[in-house]
Amino acid sequence: MSESEIIARSEQPADVVSQLPTVAPPVDTFENEKEILLHVDLPGVQKDAIVINIDNGKLTLSAVRSVPTAGAQAWREIADVQFRRIFAVPQSIDVNNVRAELKDGVLCLHLPKSEAAGPRQIEITTG
Amino acid sequence: MAHHWHDIHHLFGAMDFFRNQMNSLLQDADRSYITDRSWGIRDGFPRTNLSDTGDNLELFAEVPGVSKEKLNVKIQGNYLEISGTRLAASPEGYTLHRNERVSSSFSRSFTLPYEVDATKVTATLNDGILKIVLPKSEAAKPRQVTIS
Repeated sequence: MSESEIIARSEQPADVVSQLPTVAPPVDTFENEKEILLHVDLPGVQKDAIVINIDNGKLTLSAVRSVPTAGAQAWREIADVQFRRIFAVPQSIDVNNVRAELKDGVLCLHLPKSEAAGPRQIEITTG
Repeated sequence: MAHHWHDIHHLFGAMDFFRNQMNSLLQDADRSYITDRSWGIRDGFPRTNLSDTGDNLELFAEVPGVSKEKLNVKIQGNYLEISGTRLAASPEGYTLHRNERVSSSFSRSFTLPYEVDATKVTATLNDGILKIVLPKSEAAKPRQVTIS
């Protein structure tokens, strides 16, 4: 390996890593007999930029928000961020029927309780 | 007595300075939407971006959960006011476990760097972001100067 080759290699740019600041969005949590309902503020996030994963009792919500910019910035309070939040999901949640809708920058996440998880009376038998 | 007052005043001045420093630190970092609101007064809602594209001024405001009907935009000369109501109330039949989203009416006003033509202003609301395009008034528009 010649010396010039060594120099050329060392000048390659480093791997580009995600540099968006991670922000925890505010969340309201509600519950009724049928489901747990989350309201998450995600202003400026497109539907396609939201990823919701449920695995091993953990619900991971992550979304990327990029704000369009044009011209000279006079001031900037809204930044490009990655929204990220992780919730512990009780086992009684029917993972297959979780649904979500997005309206006006608010994500509504419905986590239905599975039928089997309702309160149950245990009958005691005498042996 | 006057001497003591001066001391107290001095102390508060130092506290204000510290708070401003903390505010600018947190505001810049955009870290947590929850914690940075507890610093100082909550007068920064909605957050906004303002940019100058030559002929227009463009203002973006972050208004999640606010519908079109609940927003008001008022313009007079170079004065702009955004106000509205944000409802984050419990949906029917649900009990609340945890409440982090703020539900209140808000109002924020700005002095724009230029006079704008109020009749040509357009506002659109998309995914919780309000975009207002404010065309500069003729007098404030950039103009090419020919050199003789």
